[in-house]
Amino acid sequence: MYGAGIDVGSTQTKCVVLDGNGEIVGRGLRMTGADVVKASEQVLEQACAEAGIETHEIVYTIGTGYGRFRVATGDDQVTEISCHAKGAVHLFPGTRTILDIGGQDTKAIKTNARGEVVDFCMNDKCAAGTGRFLAAAAEVMGLDVSEIGPVALKSTEELKITNVCTVFVESEILNQLSRGRKREDILAGVHRSIAGRSASLLRRVGVEEELTFTGGVARNPGMVAAVERRMKMKVNASEDSQFMGALGAALFALERAMAGVRRKEQEVQG
Amino acid sequence: MNSPYQHQGSGQKIQKQLLTDWYRHLEQAPERGEKVAYLFISGNIGELLQACGFHLVYPEVNALQCGIKKVAGPNILAAEDIGYSGDVCGYVKNDIGLMLSGNRMPHGTTLPKPDLLVCNYAGCATYLRWFEALAEFYGAEMVVIDVPYLRGTEGPTAEEVRYVERQLRELVAVCERVAGREFDPAAYRQAIDRTVRSEDLWVQILESARHRPSPIDAYFEAVFFMAPIYTMRGTQGCLDYYQAVAKEVEERIQAGMGPVAEEKVRIVMEGPPAWPHFRKFWEMFKKWGAVTVASTYSKVGGIWDLGFRHDPDRPFESMAEYMLGCYTNRNWAMRSQLIRGYLEDYGADALVIHSVKSCRSFSVGQADLREQFIREFEVPTLFIESDLADPRYFAEAQMKNRIDAFFEALEHRRLTAGV
Repeated sequence: MYGAGIDVGSTQTKCVVLDGNGEIVGRGLRMTGADVVKASEQVLEQACAEAGIETHEIVYTIGTGYGRFRVATGDDQVTEISCHAKGAVHLFPGTRTILDIGGQDTKAIKTNARGEVVDFCMNDKCAAGTGRFLAAAAEVMGLDVSEIGPVALKSTEELKITNVCTVFVESEILNQLSRGRKREDILAGVHRSIAGRSASLLRRVGVEEELTFTGGVARNPGMVAAVERRMKMKVNASEDSQFMGALGAALFALERAMAGVRRKEQEVQG
Repeated sequence: MNSPYQHQGSGQKIQKQLLTDWYRHLEQAPERGEKVAYLFISGNIGELLQACGFHLVYPEVNALQCGIKKVAGPNILAAEDIGYSGDVCGYVKNDIGLMLSGNRMPHGTTLPKPDLLVCNYAGCATYLRWFEALAEFYGAEMVVIDVPYLRGTEGPTAEEVRYVERQLRELVAVCERVAGREFDPAAYRQAIDRTVRSEDLWVQILESARHRPSPIDAYFEAVFFMAPIYTMRGTQGCLDYYQAVAKEVEERIQAGMGPVAEEKVRIVMEGPPAWPHFRKFWEMFKKWGAVTVASTYSKVGGIWDLGFRHDPDRPFESMAEYMLGCYTNRNWAMRSQLIRGYLEDYGADALVIHSVKSCRSFSVGQADLREQFIREFEVPTLFIESDLADPRYFAEAQMKNRIDAFFEALEHRRLTAGV
């Protein structure tokens, strides 16, 4: 039996396929783009190909993320807030607090041992402190977003970036560059600025160990280091951090599929 | 098909008729040579001004009607065009925009100009500036009643009541001069008498939400039910209206009917609604079988369910007490206590705070309220944000996401409780 989770985010669409034991057997990833339905179908096909199965072998699919209602193959929808909690506790069972930084929003989530959401806080109608902020900084530097973390880690003199606005940060960076500041120091400042905003969101839900960092931005080692420094604690981050929402959705899918099987067995017995 | 119910829908129907008649009558006031006073909803002194011969205009009610009829957006832009900042309250900008476009309401009536502006609640500095602007634009006289903010938790002191009462008596002299007629104390007393009876019925309607399932949504429906008691309190129409609503509610209780097909979650709501997206906003809660059993916004004009009533034997003094006790004039300890009481008395499962950008009187402190309820009282609390007038502040996908995540978690925790 296989379950799938499809996370249609503002920037990327992700898919995870789990086998009956809850093991990840396939992943799919692409830019969301304008055609949400197509994106969700393609990531599912990708994940199934990796798993070596046909899409019809998937018993249950859950859609999550902003485009969750447009997942054509979805049997049900769950918000990514619940999915990130579920996924994070599955990968790191000690997780009680989650920081999820995605393309356009940042969430602080408090969870219990079962991966159920106890409380959450999000950024508001503004992309300050999200992945978009990092992408804007990378663009000004002429770097790919995957390169900026390692560059920032080389900094010896972290600069203070005072601007929190994703639009205006570009002119602040240009200003720093024109003053001859090193790009690693500027980027370290950018990372610190995001870590600072994340910290205040985390404080609003109350930080309890362990803290797990999810979402695409968690793949940036500079960001993980900045959050650890700011929070003065070790942060769990996984290679699969950007698949965390899809993983949580797939776990919900598997649970529901199994509940359905149990129900059918009971009906047969009854 | 004939409905088996006699009273269903009467609250909504009569309210609509009452307001239509109210606006028509108001529109014709200048032709009849009658005077018009503008005032605010919170702790309003409608009965007193009517006994002085004034017709009443509540700019906040106009703003919410423009919001719900989706014309607040253009009105707000018109105000911004003449220089009002993006940060100014959406109600104010709607009113300025409405004035600039000739005061024509979306339902077709034209609002008369004010002869007198009565700022009956000074706890919100924006109120003062709002009426100062109108006084300037219209060249009308303005009076401010200084209502001291409640500091303790015991309610207003005798000195505070006396202070406000004295100002009300001074106001009467101004009213007589502007209206060109004498204040009618007998009419005032009779109005207060009808007010008390309306207040009793209103409390009975609100408290019906203690039933399971609740026959009413004490937010999404109550914000409509509340209109007469805040705009035309003291009139016979208002009293008749609450008698009709009480029958409608009673019928629902008998039939076990409620605002949703199946009541699954009982919530308490804090904060004003998102008027420009009202239906959509409600649907986001209905979807989860969530019913509001108590709300603070339905008390925005006055609080009666804690026992206060106007008193025809002390019409000025009790009016002063009423003004001092209005919701936004209460400090946070009192507001928190009130909400906590609602959660317990109405058997609610969760608190939802809808914070609006426009109204600082409501919103400042709500983030702390959220923390207090989650950490100290361990009540599941959802915090969402948009606006009561400006449609631009409603981010549908984000709003829906938060509401879904909250109820999802609540439902899941219930399912696994005890596991």
